[in-house]
Amino acid sequence: MAELDVAEIGVRGVNSTLHNLPKGTNETDWIIHNPHGYHSIACGLDEHLNVTIKGHVGFYCGGMNQKANIAVEGHAGVGVAENMMSGSVLVSGNASESAGATAHGGLLVIRGDASSRCGISMKGVDIVVGGSVGHMSAFMAQSGHLVVCGDTGEALGDSIYEAILFVRGKVASLGADCIEKNMEPEHLATLAELLETAGIDADPTEFRRYGSARKLYNFDIDNIDAY
Amino acid sequence: MVITDADAAAVRNWLGQNRPNVRIVGSGRAIEIFKQTGLPKAVADQFRLGQAHGSHAIGHTRMATESAVTTAGSHPFATGLDVCLVHNGSLSNHNRLRRTLEREGIVFDTDNDTEVAAGFMTWKLQQGATLREALEDGLEELDGFYTFCVGTADGFAVVRDPIACKHAVMAETDDWVAMATEYRAIAHLPGADKSRIWEPEPAKVYTWGETRAHG
Repeated sequence: MAELDVAEIGVRGVNSTLHNLPKGTNETDWIIHNPHGYHSIACGLDEHLNVTIKGHVGFYCGGMNQKANIAVEGHAGVGVAENMMSGSVLVSGNASESAGATAHGGLLVIRGDASSRCGISMKGVDIVVGGSVGHMSAFMAQSGHLVVCGDTGEALGDSIYEAILFVRGKVASLGADCIEKNMEPEHLATLAELLETAGIDADPTEFRRYGSARKLYNFDIDNIDAY
Repeated sequence: MVITDADAAAVRNWLGQNRPNVRIVGSGRAIEIFKQTGLPKAVADQFRLGQAHGSHAIGHTRMATESAVTTAGSHPFATGLDVCLVHNGSLSNHNRLRRTLEREGIVFDTDNDTEVAAGFMTWKLQQGATLREALEDGLEELDGFYTFCVGTADGFAVVRDPIACKHAVMAETDDWVAMATEYRAIAHLPGADKSRIWEPEPAKVYTWGETRAHG
């Protein structure tokens, strides 16, 4: 287990150390100390590393991640795991706005609450939130899954494409073109697997599924006058 | 700095007539407002903020969008005795609202949007609104995006616009409470890593200390 200290070598020192590891390195386990809310910690990793960050991180932690498993033992600022491609990011506390924004793949787990715009424009990532999410979550979400064990803010899934949303608690309101859909056995199975992978103990049958009514993003000849 | 027992409005009027070049940034018994352009460290050194004592403080650095980078356009803006406002964001209806408030007798020194928000608070407080009421009315009247932090003689208040465009984070321990745009600004406080940390919700007024502020 190797250790890096942001207070000693700075964010650039930490990130360049992780970026410069040779491909297939055996030095896979890292601990990062004193993150102190700095931005862009453990961004752009592209190896099978296990990185544990001891404390609260600033914006964009784990952004663009590929392959690495990043665990934040604390809260995360804006845009955690934004544009993640693969691997995982786990936040033990709360996450700020736009968690998992535009992420193409991988797994983002937030054990606490996420704020507004969680999963905005998500493109394949799986996001599991132990608590609640804020307004405009899954805005223009294209694919992937968003699981919310608590409640959601207003306008959930506004202008959604083909992402699948599971919510256990109360939905303040649905956004344009987002509707409730039936929970079929395959959805229960997917949800059960996501919850188990995320390490969150919740009964899949208590969740409801939401997705696109597909009326907004398909061209409808009746709307021709609007163009 | 002028120390006097005289009525604030009377002093303001006298200075306006006899010292027209003097700009008043704030008045009251508890709050001091310092403004300057330049690097934050240089401003802090110039006003010897390192030696300042008190129960609470608000710091603000401005990235100007709606008016020029000047000392007059710097935050905070006073909204009455011992009340001041800092703002992250920009207001889109400030010109119309400024004209409305001018008809109500509110005087503006700049074409800055935040000064209009401060003027709105001043007007509401003069009419007897509590700070909380003034901020809640602001949610109706102020168009644009904003996170406001308002300092009072013995506390402060925070409110974000209903869309919550601008970041904000709160932290609280048994000893202190802090609000900042991001946690980085709070991280150096004693016990910050163990504090309760959360994000203020949109369109919700948070206050600490006495909420009735006097215009």
